[in-house]
Amino acid sequence: MTSFKLGGMTFGSLFKKPETCQYPAEKKEAPVGLRGHIVIDEDKCILCGICQKACPCDAINVDRKGRIWAIYSFHCILCDSCVRACPRQALSTSPDLKSVTTGKFESVSFIPDPKVDKA
Amino acid sequence: MGKATVIPFGPQHPVLPEPLHLDLVVEDEKVVEAIPQIGFVHRGLEKLVETKDYNQFVYVAERICGICAMGHSLGYAETVEQLMGVEVPKRAQYLRVIWHELSRIHSHILWLGLAADAFGFESMFMHCWRLRERVLTLFEKTTGGRVILSVVCVGGVVRDIDDAQMAEVISVLEGITDEYLQIMNTLISDYSVKNRTVGVGYLSHEDALELSMVGPFARASNVNYDVRQFGKGAYGDLSDFQPILSNEGDCYGRVVVRCKEVLQSIDIIKELAAKMPAGDIAVPVKGAPAADAEACNVLEQPRGECYYYARGNGSKYLERMRMRTPTSQNIAGMVKALDGCDFADVNMIVLTIDPCISCTER
Amino acid sequence: MKYTTQFTTIPADSLSETVAACKQRQWRYVQTLAVNGEEGIDLIYSFMDMATGLLENYKVEKLAKGTHMPSITGDFLEAFVWENEIHDLFGINFDGIAIDFHGAFYALATPEPMTVISPAQKAAREKAAKVAAAKAAKEAKAKVGQGAAADDMEAKLAGMDPEKAAKVRAAMEVKAAKAEKEEK
Repeated sequence: MTSFKLGGMTFGSLFKKPETCQYPAEKKEAPVGLRGHIVIDEDKCILCGICQKACPCDAINVDRKGRIWAIYSFHCILCDSCVRACPRQALSTSPDLKSVTTGKFESVSFIPDPKVDKA
Repeated sequence: MGKATVIPFGPQHPVLPEPLHLDLVVEDEKVVEAIPQIGFVHRGLEKLVETKDYNQFVYVAERICGICAMGHSLGYAETVEQLMGVEVPKRAQYLRVIWHELSRIHSHILWLGLAADAFGFESMFMHCWRLRERVLTLFEKTTGGRVILSVVCVGGVVRDIDDAQMAEVISVLEGITDEYLQIMNTLISDYSVKNRTVGVGYLSHEDALELSMVGPFARASNVNYDVRQFGKGAYGDLSDFQPILSNEGDCYGRVVVRCKEVLQSIDIIKELAAKMPAGDIAVPVKGAPAADAEACNVLEQPRGECYYYARGNGSKYLERMRMRTPTSQNIAGMVKALDGCDFADVNMIVLTIDPCISCTER
Repeated sequence: MKYTTQFTTIPADSLSETVAACKQRQWRYVQTLAVNGEEGIDLIYSFMDMATGLLENYKVEKLAKGTHMPSITGDFLEAFVWENEIHDLFGINFDGIAIDFHGAFYALATPEPMTVISPAQKAAREKAAKVAAAKAAKEAKAKVGQGAAADDMEAKLAGMDPEKAAKVRAAMEVKAAKAEKEEK
């Protein structure tokens, strides 16, 4: 007669806290360094385009004349190459994961011109 | 004398993590011959070196396979560093090895769950993957991603693990060890598990050498080869490293080898965490590989020895990047092990090579 | 046991003897790979000496597409995976593979895709060749002993694309004309 070797663990599972949580009613807290989505600080951006060259997926589009910085998050692989390449540290990664959508779109940000505002 | 029937196995099968097709010639419940076929996930990733420069290709190399993600980015970065003559700082080497050993722990625990599922022990599968969740949470906290880590770059690593996080890593691993020892005890000494794995898919030491098998698949047939014993990088600073071998040569031996390797990896991480030097985590890499420069590199991934080859052509795009993965080397061994087995054991034997077909086909 | 690597070039017809010698010395077979070089396809066979830790890479250079090479599956069965793959992706024929898929190993849309050079790759190679040629010319001039600054600019211009180079040249001429005017 062989013993039920996994008995201890099975019995313990009746009382221990499960590893998973009841999503979406409760959400697991995102750790600080989690790669959720890329965020731009419009005041620091100088529209140099280095992030566009560093991106391996061509997800970033910089329009210097129109003063627009756009990211197509559906191509972004969250490698953080743009965050590291930016000379003004205008980009950062936020730990919030974006929710699902029904259509694909580009996230467009308008970069204000510091000379125009001061005048 | 029975009639021969050909039964197709795969490419969709509950036991396979990735698609593999086998044509099994079966006579009266015994498999006479097995003809493998792969090519269902061929994505032509090696051709992408032509359009992604050598810094961007790290992210492509990572995504060759989800289970071996850290291994491929590490092997690629080491090969390009060798090509360009870049010396990585000590702290970066230690961090890379710690993440790589964590990757080995998660891969082996994943495999132990699948192996248990292959002969029907589903509750063991659930317990193994429950423990694996803790390792994935560690990855999330230290690198920002659960499966695709994106933490290696050519020249070092991009993130640091500070002392507080390292202490957390060690305490989580110690918490895993207690429950893991119960799982290991069940897998190694339980009567039902032994019934399904002892004597199944036996490959002798001579067969293993002749078919040039690699990884735990070969070490279970007593082939004493593990790339980590060469002592490259931070592995050279370990006080003692002995590959784990087994004399059994059958599925039971392979289960035992992988079980013990998890404990060995936990010990390696604890030792390196205690010895971690301070310093930079990366050196800046400028320029491009010289034309006609070549480099090759081997790395011990969870599934075995992986060979990398890189050639430069003077521009920032590499001329050729080649990854030879361990599973492709073991396919011939799998075909030999399937000869003469029972039809019900095919699941177990196919799974014991730890097939990672996405790596094989790229 | 120390890990060392080595690259050795061997002629194509001595491949079978080299591989048989490795088998006799009980070296372990590591892999076969193909590289689509400028002048032809190179094949690299790797073997590891388990006693010393030497990883030896034998290179067979500059084969044309469609060349027939002997298969090594007689000595090392596991090479059938690589030989079928190289046949499908590069177009080198191997005679006598133990498990031969006759071109059906991978289901590809383009035959021999690794030998197709995309426009981006061609542009990058040409640019690298231009930069290397300009650098060599500059070094030859420096040996003769002419001014270094002008040559620096020339080397940079050679590497840029023609439109940008023309703009830079025009700007340089304007600057030079302005400097002349100021001197007067």
